[in-house]
Amino acid sequence: MTVAATTEKENSAPVTTTDAPTTDSAAAAGAASDAQGRTLPVLAVDLVTTPELLGSLAELARGLEDAGVGALTLSDGGLHPIHVASHLAPLTRSVGLLPRTDAIYVEPFHLATQLMSLDHISHGRAGWLLLAETDPAVPPTVGRELLSLEQTAREAADVLAAARLVWDSWADDAVVRDTEKGLYFDASRLQYADARAETFSVRGPAITPRSPQGLLPVLVADTDREAVGEAATAAADGRVLDVDLAAGADAVRSALETALSGAEDGQAGEGQPALRLVRLTGLDLDADPLGTVQALAADLRAAGLIAPVPSAGVDLRTQLGLAPAPHVADPVRRSDRARLTSKESA
Amino acid sequence: MTAGHWPLPTAPELSEEARALATGTAEHPIHPEHTPTGQLAFGVFFQGVNSSTIWRLPESGDQVAWESFESLIRTAERGKFAAFFLGEGLRLREHRGVPFELDVAGRPDAQTLLSALAAVTSKIGLVATQNTTFNDPVDLARRLQTLDLLSGGRAGWNIVTTDNAWTGENFRRGGYLDHADRYTHAEAFVQVAEQFWRGEKISHDGAHYTVRAEGTLPRSAQGRPTLFQAGASPAGQDFAARTSDVIFSPHASLSAAVDFRRSIVERTVAAGRDAGAVKILPGAEIVLAETEQEADEKVRWVRDLQIGPEQAIALLEQYWGRDLSEFDPEGPLPDVPPEVEESGVTRGAGFQYAKAEELTRTWREEAKEKGQNILEFARVKSGARRGEFTGSYDAVADRLAEYAALGAIDGLNITPWLIPSGLDDIVDHLIPRLQERGVYPEDYAGDTLRENLGLPPL
Ligand SMILES: Cc1cc2nc3c(=O)[nH]c(=O)nc-3n(C[C@H](O)[C@H](O)[C@H](O)COP(=O)(O)O)c2cc1C
Repeated sequence: MTVAATTEKENSAPVTTTDAPTTDSAAAAGAASDAQGRTLPVLAVDLVTTPELLGSLAELARGLEDAGVGALTLSDGGLHPIHVASHLAPLTRSVGLLPRTDAIYVEPFHLATQLMSLDHISHGRAGWLLLAETDPAVPPTVGRELLSLEQTAREAADVLAAARLVWDSWADDAVVRDTEKGLYFDASRLQYADARAETFSVRGPAITPRSPQGLLPVLVADTDREAVGEAATAAADGRVLDVDLAAGADAVRSALETALSGAEDGQAGEGQPALRLVRLTGLDLDADPLGTVQALAADLRAAGLIAPVPSAGVDLRTQLGLAPAPHVADPVRRSDRARLTSKESA
Repeated sequence: MTAGHWPLPTAPELSEEARALATGTAEHPIHPEHTPTGQLAFGVFFQGVNSSTIWRLPESGDQVAWESFESLIRTAERGKFAAFFLGEGLRLREHRGVPFELDVAGRPDAQTLLSALAAVTSKIGLVATQNTTFNDPVDLARRLQTLDLLSGGRAGWNIVTTDNAWTGENFRRGGYLDHADRYTHAEAFVQVAEQFWRGEKISHDGAHYTVRAEGTLPRSAQGRPTLFQAGASPAGQDFAARTSDVIFSPHASLSAAVDFRRSIVERTVAAGRDAGAVKILPGAEIVLAETEQEADEKVRWVRDLQIGPEQAIALLEQYWGRDLSEFDPEGPLPDVPPEVEESGVTRGAGFQYAKAEELTRTWREEAKEKGQNILEFARVKSGARRGEFTGSYDAVADRLAEYAALGAIDGLNITPWLIPSGLDDIVDHLIPRLQERGVYPEDYAGDTLRENLGLPPL
């Protein structure tokens, strides 16, 4: 990973502001696990954001939520996936909302801000399905050349690291509204991102206060893993099993069983993130999408293959079995350094 | 002044000031080509990061919580507001090298938020301030078109061109653009966006980058997002006259609004467009009460809450360029010289350091002469005690009716000093009076932002 958080490391041991565990633990987070102690993946349905979807979008999202789906992923079909996810936030109560969106041919600062805004708007239901674009038609839209697979993978890892630095730039309690001292926020509880990668840098801090989850869950779909690359996949919070609904209920079920037993065989070890989400693709909007999904969700749930229906008010990290992500303060990047330095020299 | 057919039939209701400012006929009081519509549209400008939103009161809500935005926009829609605006700032403001802690800071991304607000409203326009220097045109155009489609034709884009290297530190290209080129670049940017919205093949070779793309989304109910411009320079006015539908202007006083209208009409006509093609909505603060006397008291109270001792010292520090924390806000202005060498962007102020000596000396003398301490001086400098639209419900309604009769403005973009309840008295007490006077719509004209701003179809 080439993003350097700081240049000088002395006196800068990262400090966590709470005692919450930093390792993933289904038990700690309260997510469902099966008899073998495996965290069960959350069931997601993929919506492709084509303009044809507009008329039925609200009804479909509500219907899928009622059908027991735990998350909606938004794949790019023209309408911007982050905006579609955001539009669905006030229309739904408990489903996770995960845009599947590119990390490469975008401005990392905008991307990080948009995703953390989605987390605010959805009260902690936002996640990011990290995609690394390989379509040669995309880079010219932003005046860039297509990166090689190796460069793409490196940049995906850098953008992910930078996004997390931006997300982590305000402490939870940075907005103090201290009427005595006249302070709206406390700059000592903010830090610069100071993300420096080969192809970009981001100074920060975020222009948005910390979002409910702090660090949004970042997942990588199996179909995207090759482009995303090993480093970003390993740094992500989990993997996503992709199953085409068109293959039928039995095929979905057996794919899930295989994936779960694979995890048991230890494939979720070294550099192999745990399975967190099952993404059903190929939803047929002309058929009876709600009925199909409802039957499937009930079947998979009865078989103990997917996590329970999410409850409102519980954030996506928890639904996915991820531990909370406390703010990590780095004294070297503290945003009031200039004031400290001038006081010291005075 | 050319007397013409002036005064209008409704002249008795107009003030001396308004009559003096009119230079044309009853039909065209300000410019021979411009006919007042006599109608006003309101927008609400949720600034987010700013110095005038009071956060110290118990009724001041969370400045980033969804509930605050939802509550405010519902009130605005109840008041038939044409638009809900969000500001943008792509780097946290700093003061003397440290993020500025005294005022409201931090806000969600505008379009992400507006896409959600589109789901809980049905008529009000959704306008995002978005910068042309630190965005990619195709990415931004696609986002705006997404918002336009999600909202059924209610999207607006407030085009701004902030261009400093300090903001650029957050972006791939850095501070690549000279201030002098900001509008040339913006114009090319908007052309690319318009091609995208029309679904064309884009082949743009610009001074700073090339773009090859193709618009793939259908047209929205209003054709394309409505274009607003905010920027006060002559170059900004020309840009707006050529390309925009609405100007978000800083000119709210009657005389400044009349001058600005004349300037924009001249530029619009010179650009080959209709004299009324560009609507003008100045930013404004409204402070209302039942009587004039109560309104006066309320303004004093609002100003005191907006500018506390800390804000007063910070204001002076911007110009002195040094730490003034040891000075008593209740005492005289600092008798120390400014540090002229120290530069850098603080609070977006374009302060000229070379003139610091002269300015601080003048200020010291001015405050001494008027017997003002730091706090009193800062409160006066930060804005008049009474704004244009401060007063009793009836007085403000009359005043606005006069602006409408003259055609000085097409409405206001209101910056509430309290979030989220800051529109309540406007909607409950001012709007009904404007409706009685026939200058504010009884209901939405249509479903799109263009329709509700009175803009012709594309
Ligand atoms: C009423 C008004 C509102 C503005 N709001 C914003 C804003 O939200 N974000 C921003 O970056 N700039 C904002 N600006 C600043 C303009 O983008 C700025 O004036 C621009 O850099 C240069 O234009 P000018 O030189 O023509 O003034 C605003 C300007 C005006 C007049």
